[in-house]
Amino acid sequence: MTALIRFDGVALGYGRRAVVEQLDFSLEPGDFLGLVGPNGSGKTTIIRAMLGTLSPSAGRLTRAPGLRLGYVPQRDQVDSLYPLRVSDVVTMGRYDRIAIGRRPGPRDREAALRALDQVGVADLADRLLAGLSGGQKQRVLIARALVGEPNVLVLDEPTNGMDLVSTTQILGLVRDLHEQAKLTVVMVSHALNEVANYVAKIGLVFGGRLRLGAVADIINEPVLQSVYGIPVQVHSFDGHRVVVARSVSGGAKR
Amino acid sequence: MIETLLLFREALYGAIIIGVACAVLGVYVVLRRIVFVGAALAQLSSAGIALALWLGGLGLFGTTHGHLIGMSLLLTLAGALFFGLGGGRRYVHHEAVIGVTYAASAAVGILLIAKAASGEGHDIFLQGNVLGMSRHETVELLAVVIPILGLHAALAKEFVFVSFDPETAATLGYRVVRWNLLLYFTIGIVIAFAMQSAGVLLVFNFLVVPAVTGVLIGRTIGQVFAVSIAAAVLAAAVGFGASIPLDLPTGPAIAAVSALLALLAWSARRLRRE
Repeated sequence: MTALIRFDGVALGYGRRAVVEQLDFSLEPGDFLGLVGPNGSGKTTIIRAMLGTLSPSAGRLTRAPGLRLGYVPQRDQVDSLYPLRVSDVVTMGRYDRIAIGRRPGPRDREAALRALDQVGVADLADRLLAGLSGGQKQRVLIARALVGEPNVLVLDEPTNGMDLVSTTQILGLVRDLHEQAKLTVVMVSHALNEVANYVAKIGLVFGGRLRLGAVADIINEPVLQSVYGIPVQVHSFDGHRVVVARSVSGGAKR
Repeated sequence: MIETLLLFREALYGAIIIGVACAVLGVYVVLRRIVFVGAALAQLSSAGIALALWLGGLGLFGTTHGHLIGMSLLLTLAGALFFGLGGGRRYVHHEAVIGVTYAASAAVGILLIAKAASGEGHDIFLQGNVLGMSRHETVELLAVVIPILGLHAALAKEFVFVSFDPETAATLGYRVVRWNLLLYFTIGIVIAFAMQSAGVLLVFNFLVVPAVTGVLIGRTIGQVFAVSIAAAVLAAAVGFGASIPLDLPTGPAIAAVSALLALLAWSARRLRRE
């Protein structure tokens, strides 16, 4: 099977600062990969390289010909000051198919409505993005990624700041897109409990390296304790993994 | 009074042209939260005029209208390039760099004017000299503004996208830095030409206040642009019309009306409870 994206000895960073190094892995068709790790470990840096907005400082990164990536940015990256209609925001996902200086046509608008329907929010098409709840906004951003008909869906912290219900719904939607629409998915999250129960493979980013494996190989006590540096317990309830960090002193001054 | 208004009609036309151009570009300035870039570019532009006058006084540079615009344009576009590339961001916050540029260019401009042989640039630093506008200057403004507004009308889709979500735009192949530079350059060109007659206060006002009115009132991005343009035209007409019979400086009068419109828009927004 031909890899969609292949990292061969890739190093990534900003200026002279290396963030992650020695990346050797590939994203295969049908993968559902979760990238997890402490804040600032380099998860987003890796997906920037996948998306082509960050070039490797060393090594070789190759993408399969004709590969199309649908990107769902962090929700707070999208500015709520802009009075943009949901349908207009979703249509942006097709701008690379519309010539510079040309306006979106009826086919683009129809595709936007189909994408909104696919994520279950077709009724929001004429609403302003700024007036939506966090969960609705996230669905709109997923629709924008889908409207470009991607082979790979890349999501950056899709459930950040969401309540339990919205989190479950969004992760369920992403799983449905993977299983039913046969999309390859890469999802970045710092929330281990969320990712561990949805993805098939996990990439743990820490100390400037990526450790990739099946969920059971990564989400276990020895590995997590060595990465996070605190006592961690992994329980299994009804087939779901639950990661619990045991309380440690916060270092507060007496 | 009508006769007096007619006598200064070029000033009214000029104020409206500057107002419309700045109102369109100002929507990006306000939505992108780069208000102080507008202020710093206006100050750089005025420092360019001051530099040309100072060098002219020393016999090292011409002091014709073209020379003043040339130097003003040079400094403004250099500033646009610097800000567009995120200059100075490595060590201090971008806002601080803009603040330093603003303060430094204002100080240098005033010092140069103080030592310039010609004093004609004094007014430019604050209120400009809108009433002194000639037919030639109005036509020159139109020749600059029409292509820039045409460019913005044609590329509105792209400018809105890279402003709203640059990261996603980059993933779709948009060269965001180049789009930002194009936006900053168009803002810089309009500022440099508008500064000659409108002054820092009025140019900065037109770049920010009508767009704020637009953001407060407009429910869609199209409405924001429309309200911003309407607010600039209304402020120019009412401010100009009031300044002559009341013997008030025209630039500040227009700026005051503009601010009043923004206040009304804010009140309307509060009543709308959004």
